Amino acid sequence: MNTMNWVQKTVLTLITGLITVMALFPLLWVIIAGFKEKAEVLATPFRFFPKKWMVQNYTDILGDPAFLKSMAVTFGGAVLFAVLSLIVNSLAAYVFARLEFRLKAFLWVYVIITMFIPGMAILLTSFIVVNKMGMLDTLAVLVLPGVASAGHMFFVRQFYLNIPLALEEAALIDGAGRIRIFTHIFIPMSFPVFVIVGIGSYLAYWNSFVWPTMTVTNPDLFQIMQYLYTFRSERSTEMGMLMAGSALSCLPTIILFLFFQKHIISGIKISGLK
Amino acid sequence: MLKKNFRQDNAVAYLLLAPIVILLTIFVIIPFVYALRVSFYNWSFYQESTFVGFQNFYMVLTDDLFLESIWVGLKFAFMVVPTMLIISFLFANIIKNMGSGFASFVKTSIYIPTIISGIVASVIFVFIFDYAGGLANYIVGLFGYEPKAWLAEVASALPSIAAPAVWLGFGLTTLIMLAGLHDIPKSYYEAAELEGAGTFVKMGYITIPLMRNVVLYLLVTGFTAQISQFELSLVMTGGGPLSSTTTPNLYILNHFRNDVMVGNSIAASLLLFVVLGSISAIIFRVLNSEKAIDG
Repeated sequence: MNTMNWVQKTVLTLITGLITVMALFPLLWVIIAGFKEKAEVLATPFRFFPKKWMVQNYTDILGDPAFLKSMAVTFGGAVLFAVLSLIVNSLAAYVFARLEFRLKAFLWVYVIITMFIPGMAILLTSFIVVNKMGMLDTLAVLVLPGVASAGHMFFVRQFYLNIPLALEEAALIDGAGRIRIFTHIFIPMSFPVFVIVGIGSYLAYWNSFVWPTMTVTNPDLFQIMQYLYTFRSERSTEMGMLMAGSALSCLPTIILFLFFQKHIISGIKISGLK
Repeated sequence: MLKKNFRQDNAVAYLLLAPIVILLTIFVIIPFVYALRVSFYNWSFYQESTFVGFQNFYMVLTDDLFLESIWVGLKFAFMVVPTMLIISFLFANIIKNMGSGFASFVKTSIYIPTIISGIVASVIFVFIFDYAGGLANYIVGLFGYEPKAWLAEVASALPSIAAPAVWLGFGLTTLIMLAGLHDIPKSYYEAAELEGAGTFVKMGYITIPLMRNVVLYLLVTGFTAQISQFELSLVMTGGGPLSSTTTPNLYILNHFRNDVMVGNSIAASLLLFVVLGSISAIIFRVLNSEKAIDG
């Protein structure tokens, strides 16, 4: 029995190691390929490591002002997006979790129904709407349309429903208003759920591609995925630079994820999935 | 006293709900109602639109390219979802029995692909499937096969796009399965062991039946997500060769650029909405009801 366990353990560890490597390999490859010489990037035969480690692709892409600019603009937009989305959705989550008001049933359905409308069904008409509002080529067109999210609101509400009523009853008796209870009792307790919703919003913004390509033509507002896509079609010979740029574009996201990984991974347990 | 509270809550509630309701109205509800309207019109950017009844829907449903795109979407989902679920299920079972230090490293590693964008994944996998210097041809070369133009051949293009989809998705499904596995009480396994049950018996009689709801959830959400996939085909193949990788959403997106077809493609997207939206609505209802936690 003991030897069986030992064999089993070794095999399992090997399989695990293999899958972990497979999960990380594509990303590692693109990072390492960025260090290759221009001619070597797609040279036959395939080699994982560069013959000679060069930083030229990385310095070239970082030397392109448009690249750094789109990284910065996208980062700023993503942070703004995440903050606004936390405010708007958690306010609504609090109201639906705790307050009683006349139109509650109607507004609940009105908000939740938007969860089931796929983006593609309203892509073109959304474009027409923002066009009529004169929002094209502004930061607002990138940020505002996605801020309100029924899915995120629902997720935060589930979390709020589990906060014991006793906590706020004392405050209510002391005469604290609903808004004060939200800012002083609910927000301080919201950290675990805010991390998940905030990072989720940040990611959705950072990785978005179709909406920016439709609504932004001003290079000053180019989003990073839009930049990479354009780079790929316009400068298809610069593969090393494209690799380096793709690798760098993942960096802020990965750092953010590693920083909050414990909360994100344990948060999967509370994701409303029973 | 009660009545006074009730009134106060009304005002505060509407005030705090105003942002979400206004934003959703402008950016989701109005575009949706507008899309419903357009689907019954012969709509154009440049001229007056005319009412055409169900003609757009009729044209979409008789358009071979649309039907083919549905077929492509189904094939794609059938490639990605089962593969992803099987890998995730095995892997979640392995992680569950690991020491906690190693397990947390593995969990972090497999989650990382989940946060990578579709565009970057496409760029990476286009290089992996490159004819001359790509990894895929290097590997088949090791086994003595001729190199292949993976993304340019009808037979291999769709599976080649399914690979990055699995890569992007399996980390999250593994962790959701793992959470499900941890919810199964240890005592069930201990009792089974006392009765002399082996690994496979425990798997077949405890793990699989109790994971039914989680698997069902992942199956349906995975299916609706994968059939809606279009970024990968857009960047990797542009829908080709011979529209063998044109998924329904890519079909719709391509037709937006063609002014004459706007009414059609909106009709197509609404048809898709009816199907996918109802599937997710059902899932939402089931998960939200207590029925989801039997067993």
